[in-house]
Amino acid sequence: MNAARRFVLVATSVVLVATSFVASVSATELDDVLTEARDATYTASRLVVSVWGGKTQVSREYVEHADGMEIVRIGAKWSMTGNGKAVSMGDEPTGITFLTDQRSISTSRYTIKEIAKAYHMSRPCRIVEVREGDILRATLVVDDRSGALLIQELYSENGSLYRRTTLSDFRAYRTYEAPTDGSDVPAEVVMHEDSILLPDSIAGYELVDAFNAPGGSEQGYYTDGLFRFSLFILGGHMVISGFEDSMELVAESGVYKMVPTAQAVRLHWRDGSNNFVLVGDLPPDHVADVLAELPKPESRGMWARWWTRLFG
Amino acid sequence: MAGMTPVNEHLSMLLSCYLDGALTSDELDEVVVSLESDLAAVAEFRRLQEVRRSVRVLPILDVPLYLMPGEHLSEQLSAYLDGELATIEMPAVSAHLDSCTECRRELAELDRSRTAVRALPGLEPPVFLEVHRETVRETKRGLRTALVVASGVAAVAIVFTVGPFATEAEPVAVSIADLQYRHTAVASVPSSGIGVQISNAP
Repeated sequence: MNAARRFVLVATSVVLVATSFVASVSATELDDVLTEARDATYTASRLVVSVWGGKTQVSREYVEHADGMEIVRIGAKWSMTGNGKAVSMGDEPTGITFLTDQRSISTSRYTIKEIAKAYHMSRPCRIVEVREGDILRATLVVDDRSGALLIQELYSENGSLYRRTTLSDFRAYRTYEAPTDGSDVPAEVVMHEDSILLPDSIAGYELVDAFNAPGGSEQGYYTDGLFRFSLFILGGHMVISGFEDSMELVAESGVYKMVPTAQAVRLHWRDGSNNFVLVGDLPPDHVADVLAELPKPESRGMWARWWTRLFG
Repeated sequence: MAGMTPVNEHLSMLLSCYLDGALTSDELDEVVVSLESDLAAVAEFRRLQEVRRSVRVLPILDVPLYLMPGEHLSEQLSAYLDGELATIEMPAVSAHLDSCTECRRELAELDRSRTAVRALPGLEPPVFLEVHRETVRETKRGLRTALVVASGVAAVAIVFTVGPFATEAEPVAVSIADLQYRHTAVASVPSSGIGVQISNAP
């Protein structure tokens, strides 16, 4: 009798522990978690560490986040982003606003699951895994009360961590330290345009919106529901500055100029007639997949090669 | 106006509405009582009548269509971009642009077209074409025609061969920081329509 009672007791304990640590929650609850993260209100220091091409990029910034808007201070410089607007609040404030009604996309690329409850910075949290098939793409530590993502770890295909974002000095309210919220800064208005050059989808990323960019070029905004990038197709006569001290990214599709930052990767190449620039937060293996479906880099055009052969 | 008390704003408004024929029956009673018993009200009533009479005899202004509410700017947009609007026109045009999405879009398109035209390369005719031209002048008409045709063909060939280099001679610069800035702004649009399919792991 005692043995049977002990068995029932142990079995019950195991079930309780399992359900508390591997608590699968309903889709609605998790969808709410993602929305809450975007709309969370908090003030914090944000440290972002990324590894690209064997080099580490680090960014530390002060953040005030509320209602989908984010005011950031890096050093003494303030900026604001949110709801399609980006504002730089320096000596000469400038801003840009994208008026857009983004096309909805549906993707079954990722599944999300809560794997455990935890405490971080003395705050009750839940740990959430994001998987792409069998590949672990991200681990998120979500603050229960505010919905903020206290820690984000992003992984490449081989399981290596390529970006870690952590919040510290966390306060679940705004401190309003910024000199202005940026709403009074005049902004260039950019409206949605139908694209003639941008593909509708690239390696699982769907074209959500397209805009005219500088010099009559096109900007396509792509997402797969988790990661995002912009592809700029610029005329061959345009000069792209900022890649003077770039690294080389060698992919199967060719060699690209790369300037990684803590938050994003920036790539530039030419296909002989156009310049291409890709800016986004996508993982390294996704970058390779996306580049494989785009025009390949070519050093110069046919006429340019002839010219070089003839005149050096 | 000794012996009169100033007309209050409420009564003045009622009198104005009375002239417009926009009073309710209760308000009409109130106005009638005032006009029968209050000299100040009568004076105010006459003043309002006089003002309306004066307004009616004012000459009719020929207001430009684009200044009328609901009318869009058309040729004024081009003048606006060229800085050719009269000073007096600027506030009205700016105010219209502030409130009219359609005109802002048209202005943006016009501005883009002009930018694109300005970015076109300026090609100078090659020197050897000038030499041909001098030679042709001294030849007979038939030969002149042939050479002109040949020059045309040569010019077209040059445009196609030298064109790519000519465009590189006047490059348009754009910084990666600017492009990153644009991406950040677009990526901050609430993505409520972008659904990550969430499911319980197996």
